[in-house]
Amino acid sequence: MDIVSQLKSTNLAGGVVSSLIVMLIMILLAIYIGIRAHFQDPLKKPKGMLLVAEIGVTFFENFAEGLLGKRFRMFGGYIMAIAVYLFLAFIFGLTGLPAPMTTLSVPLSLGLSTFILIHATAVKYNKIRYFKRYVEPLPFFLPINLISMWAPLLSLTLRLFGNALSGFVIMNIVYYGLQNLSAMVFASIDSAWNEVFFAPFIAWILHLYFDLFSGFIQTTVFISLTAIYVGQEAPEEYLE
Amino acid sequence: MTAEAMKFLAIAITMLAVMPSAIGEGFVVSHAVDGIARNPDVYSKLRTTMILGCSLVETTAIYALLIAILLIFVAK
Repeated sequence: MDIVSQLKSTNLAGGVVSSLIVMLIMILLAIYIGIRAHFQDPLKKPKGMLLVAEIGVTFFENFAEGLLGKRFRMFGGYIMAIAVYLFLAFIFGLTGLPAPMTTLSVPLSLGLSTFILIHATAVKYNKIRYFKRYVEPLPFFLPINLISMWAPLLSLTLRLFGNALSGFVIMNIVYYGLQNLSAMVFASIDSAWNEVFFAPFIAWILHLYFDLFSGFIQTTVFISLTAIYVGQEAPEEYLE
Repeated sequence: MTAEAMKFLAIAITMLAVMPSAIGEGFVVSHAVDGIARNPDVYSKLRTTMILGCSLVETTAIYALLIAILLIFVAK
């Protein structure tokens, strides 16, 4: 395999490789659902995976419409892609491979894509007036405005990274403690196997919180913030 | 006072930022409960908004925790 040897030689961080695996899973899912949708008879009820995908697309388009207005239904696609990727990336830590979100470059790239989307929307709808915001209310506010421009990027990135990293560190501490406790209680067993008795029965409750619940909440927060930031830049909608 | 002790003092001061965040979260929940008591029909809507608001308030505490972790593992 040429790709595998190349991946090994590039010396990527573990989280980035996990992120690439999550993306591969998403691409395969998208191809599968696309083929199913292409050959689906539109007069029949969709079944299985296709039904789930249709419910998801409807949900996220309504979500975008509710927060951004009717003209911005197309942002539903971006929001759905981000949401599915984030949730898969958060629960990917359950497989035992390095969790993608604990490497700073992964949440940074997510935050950067939302950041670019915000400013692209602003430039698209405000044209040249976009640059006026940097000299408001007075021209000498320019340096302050240039610094505060980066605040959304920083907060989006560090929210994801801090949440995932704190969960990761706490889980590691709990695993370490349970391992030592088990070794102390079952000291009569004279082998390295006396370390494994407590962790499988206690740690899963914390995984339920730190991976599933926290991942779900952070996904919701991230997509809501994305929609709100983008909605701020878009002009008011005419009432029809 | 040695440099090591100063480092742990810095971590302790950083984690003080968690206190106001917890108070804020208490405000969020108390007002949500007030709203539910006044109008029990909005329970399901209010719960979602409350969890969202809680996690937004929690962000400050997460920043503090992140800085504390960085101080523990990165600072010399």
